[in-house]
Amino acid sequence: MSGNGNEKEQITLTIDGQELTVDKGTNVLEAAAQIGIEIPYFCWHPKLDSVGACRMCLVDVEKIPKPAVSCATEVMPGMVVKTATDEIIKARRGVLEFILLNHPLDCPTCDKGGECDLQDNVFNFGIDKSRQTFTRKRVIDTQTKTTFDDKRIGPEVWRNMNRCVTCFKCTRFNKEIAGEWDLGAFQRGSSTVIDAPPGEQIDNLYSGNVVEICPVGALTNNDWRYKIRNWKATKADSICSHDADGQNITLWYDHRQLFRATSRPNDAIDDGWICNIARYGYQYINSPDRLTKPLIKKGGTQVEATWPEAIELIAKKFSKIKGDKGSVCIAGLLGGNQSNETAYLFNQLFRSVLHSNSVDYRLEYTGLTDGEHSEAYNCLYDAPFQISSLETADCVLIYGSNLIKDHPAVNLRLRKAYRKNDAKVYTANPVETKSGDISTDELIYNPDCGTAFLVALTHALIDGKLYKNIDEAKAAEIKSLLEPSNLNEAATRCGIEVDRINYLASDLAGAKNLFILGGDYLRASSDRSRQANALYNLANLLDIPDSNSAILASQANSKGARFLGLSPQLPAKLAKTLADKWGTTLPESTGCNTSEILKGALEEEIDAVFVMGANPGMRYPDGPFVDAALDKLDFLVVADLFETATSLKADVVLPLAGWSEADGSYVNLSGMYQKFSRALKPKAGIKAGTEILQLLMTAIDPQLKFDLSSLSQNTRDVIDSWAIPQRDKEKFFPVKQAHIVDHEAFPYRLLIGNDLHHYGYLTEHCPSLMKFASEPYVELSTQLAEKLGIDDGDLLRIESTSGKLVLKSKISEFFEGDVIFIPNNFSAVDVNCLVSKETGGWVKIEKLDDK
Amino acid sequence: MEQVLFKYIDDPEQHKIERYIENGGYQALAKVFKDYKPNEVIDLVKSSGLRGRGGAGFPAGLKWSFVPKNSPKPKYLCCNADESEPGTCKDRVLMERDPHMMLEGIIICCYAINAHHAFVYIRGEFVFPAKRVEEAVEAAYAKGYLGKNIMGSGFDLDIIVHTGGGAYICGEETALLSSLEGDRGLSRIRPPFPAISGLYDSPTVINNVETLASLPSIFNNGVDWYRSHGTEKSPGTKVFSLSGNVKKPGNYEIELGTPLSYVINDLGGGMEDEQYKLKAIIPGGSSTPLLMPDQIDTPLDYESIAEAGSMLGSGAIIVIDERACMVWVAMKLINFYQHESCGKCTPCREGTAWLKQIINRIERGEGQNGDIDLIIDVCGNIMGRTICPLGDAAVMPTESIIKHFRHEFEYHIEHKKCQVKTDYPF
Repeated sequence: MSGNGNEKEQITLTIDGQELTVDKGTNVLEAAAQIGIEIPYFCWHPKLDSVGACRMCLVDVEKIPKPAVSCATEVMPGMVVKTATDEIIKARRGVLEFILLNHPLDCPTCDKGGECDLQDNVFNFGIDKSRQTFTRKRVIDTQTKTTFDDKRIGPEVWRNMNRCVTCFKCTRFNKEIAGEWDLGAFQRGSSTVIDAPPGEQIDNLYSGNVVEICPVGALTNNDWRYKIRNWKATKADSICSHDADGQNITLWYDHRQLFRATSRPNDAIDDGWICNIARYGYQYINSPDRLTKPLIKKGGTQVEATWPEAIELIAKKFSKIKGDKGSVCIAGLLGGNQSNETAYLFNQLFRSVLHSNSVDYRLEYTGLTDGEHSEAYNCLYDAPFQISSLETADCVLIYGSNLIKDHPAVNLRLRKAYRKNDAKVYTANPVETKSGDISTDELIYNPDCGTAFLVALTHALIDGKLYKNIDEAKAAEIKSLLEPSNLNEAATRCGIEVDRINYLASDLAGAKNLFILGGDYLRASSDRSRQANALYNLANLLDIPDSNSAILASQANSKGARFLGLSPQLPAKLAKTLADKWGTTLPESTGCNTSEILKGALEEEIDAVFVMGANPGMRYPDGPFVDAALDKLDFLVVADLFETATSLKADVVLPLAGWSEADGSYVNLSGMYQKFSRALKPKAGIKAGTEILQLLMTAIDPQLKFDLSSLSQNTRDVIDSWAIPQRDKEKFFPVKQAHIVDHEAFPYRLLIGNDLHHYGYLTEHCPSLMKFASEPYVELSTQLAEKLGIDDGDLLRIESTSGKLVLKSKISEFFEGDVIFIPNNFSAVDVNCLVSKETGGWVKIEKLDDK
Repeated sequence: MEQVLFKYIDDPEQHKIERYIENGGYQALAKVFKDYKPNEVIDLVKSSGLRGRGGAGFPAGLKWSFVPKNSPKPKYLCCNADESEPGTCKDRVLMERDPHMMLEGIIICCYAINAHHAFVYIRGEFVFPAKRVEEAVEAAYAKGYLGKNIMGSGFDLDIIVHTGGGAYICGEETALLSSLEGDRGLSRIRPPFPAISGLYDSPTVINNVETLASLPSIFNNGVDWYRSHGTEKSPGTKVFSLSGNVKKPGNYEIELGTPLSYVINDLGGGMEDEQYKLKAIIPGGSSTPLLMPDQIDTPLDYESIAEAGSMLGSGAIIVIDERACMVWVAMKLINFYQHESCGKCTPCREGTAWLKQIINRIERGEGQNGDIDLIIDVCGNIMGRTICPLGDAAVMPTESIIKHFRHEFEYHIEHKKCQVKTDYPF
């Protein structure tokens, strides 16, 4: 538990004759568990409010006349509890007899068998006789007209009502924790049925949790149904390999494949609730489309080759280019979900062996504009924000983030702060988001005018004298750093009323534990440095701790890659640590970042690029530019799991192992270092990133000595040596007006990002996630659809100065006005062709006549 | 006998605010605003001894005094008009014919507990009573008895009338709150009690229609006058709904402590058909245990009925004569409770369904040896094991019927038919 430092009051009580002392607020059930006394239950869950419905956890409490439900009875000083009196034993047996009256007892074919609370409770506390003489009641599904067939109530969730014990954990989770309304209880009494509302299905991002918390086999998922008995599967501790939250999971596997991922509760991160991407996002490992043999381009086509051939060719080519043209002509791009160990060796390959500083991991959102990130950006990006601390917030401003998509675990923590701590939530985004339903005010700024909004807010704080720790003269000085120069002008520009901004300012200033968090809309914006400056100023004006204002990282290990120095410029301290570890000197030449590497390729200054676990061809937000750059390269090496837009252009393709096929570690957005274990061994022909890099380095420099046993420790040392910059409380940055692209012929603002159920380019290989969204689409507002006469599902031509696409329309309640959205998770469509430096993401839309 | 609640019940114009005022209405309210501070109102109601008329008989003033004075949260009053206990129809009449008396009581209570929002939760089937209450609320707003600064007192109050969806369970106070919040009508575990954390997690008082309607007369006539009616521990008058095999079924207002026989024989005109003798009496709504013919002189007050082994409940007296087969009566009751169980607690959800199966089997003539003991054992596994009293309500009459008429069940199982031969006119 993440305490806030306060010592909790202690309560002493007696359970079954044993005296014990526990924290105030503990319930009797938890207190008993602390001394190893098991009280059976169905409906209780440590993270849900107690409802006392199943009546399984009854205990005898002195001075309470009737048996009390231990899950909802708080401990009191001097309380005397008995958990196994004759009356209690009879009551438990009674409850179990009631539950079994109509239970199908189909344990042999039930997936929950072996991990079922009903089996366990009957085994431990029930009796082996039944007085039931009636035909067991069967819930008949009106769709299939049968009793035993399960009903599919969501893309992944199946329901078998006959097994249900009506504990309501699923509907309570859905409503209390996820804030979703796509699952409910219908009818009443013994006819109660758990189902999705008519015409709907349970498809929210957290829907997999209802299967996991079901105490019996009433809810199961496609992923796991009828595949393997759980006791035959082996388990490995792992971490989600997609977003940067670092949700903890357990992988279940046998010698052939992975079977499922379940939560591995970590209160510091996920509270035991994982999103569907963490749950089903392992499936790409099992995909039949995996690359299994190295490919070498011969005469324009890629043909299969052996590993020694491939490694030798790469080593030869790299050595030649290094010798002929110099190290500066070789560059490396590493994917943001490669482990720390891989990143460490990748860095060593480039900096130590090839002697090039041109390495980068920022392929997806950097590059469109201004080279390296600003000081304010880096400071906020490195901020030691802890996910669990968010639940203690009394006020939160989420700026530029569709939080549920960007950070599923942070999103749940925000909801918890709202639910448990009455936190005031403000969101400011170019579109509406799911967090809107808990927001005091949901502010929508004009596309590309986020900076103006932040400037308006800064003006409001200064004008209202709501700042802390500075004097009026300083405030006036800060005001002069801002463009537009006054509140009205800035408010007009961002399209939000002055009153609302003033109201927000006074709430932020009045908060006791305020958080300001920025996300992907900020990071994807060409204007991110100015926005970071503005956020930095706000954090100083409101005097909030470093840990409470942050720009949240994306991708499972982008923060690890940053800490390990996978960018062209190294802080001096880190450079020294690395040089010492490798026993070499580091190159002195200036390195290139991603956009400079691509630009260098285009201008034939860079000849060879090694791309590992990344797909800039699809994900770099300037399609024409990245295509031309990669085509110009002399020698492109791609190591990846699948054939990608990038690998198709490669001279050598190496089949790369997935994250679960090697031991490793990630650093999440909080800077938390987390290890994960290998589950499956990579299939024949596939090699782990660390092995590939080791082979390559020894091929280039046979003298190189490796001690892989210390790799993990070396990596950890480097990560730990990263100095987190502190915010300078005296410092305020100028925030100038952003240049607005002239886009008259292209009236609609295009946002590109992740689909709710996808993350990056690997999830399209996960069949379960493809059930939620299987093809690209263009999401647009009702107003825009009406204006252009578009219906849901119409084919639209989307055109920008750089390219055009045809996509199906999807009308969304979350969109307003002229903003549209296209997901970039589907390789079927080349979305980044629509974006280039010139257009800045403005498009026009035309409806195609024939569907 | 003095009529208090029913004083103007037969006046066809009484539901209109003009007539209500003409008959002395809203004077109690004026007096409260003028002479009493909120805590004095609570003290006065406490000393009047008024007990809740919904069924449990909890002292009203005491309930109000549990509302925390310094809570920063808003306080609410919910008027429970979800009258659905079989046999009970008193609130309906009060709302149809004299709705302002209830409204006046609501305003007094809200003033006492410092609530500025009150809700009237009326069962969905009460279409006409709901219409009358809505009209009354509208008229009260128009005359300044509701809204801002009522009668110049500076006190504000808004009343929202809400109709339920037709579930018995929503008459249970916590289920009523869940339903009012827009959730399924499921009861909630206590503590926290509604007075501390009720509607929208705020302090809430829930009172029955008749309880609130009793308030104006107490303030008009004083505590001594009120306590001069009824008994020491059950003061005042109460409306009883008489039904079953009597000549004149209906609602009768009597002083508490009046013998049951007076209601059945004098007010109700005696047995429906004199050739059939009294067999049993359900004294306080279908969920209370039976009284037997030799208990007919039991005084109708909370203590005496409890002493006789039953409960005063909501005051619905159901008279059963010897034509009734008690297995059939038990079946009717369990069918009702099974249908109305909300399904939250396992013992009630599954137990009532099982009891229904067993009792229906006996009634059909398919009963098995051991069924009666099985019923008693299942009842034992439900009784006291659920959040709300619905489980107990299903068990108490069942156990009581078996206790007094076990031989009829045995006859049914053995002979596969009723011991009673006559057709029962229900």
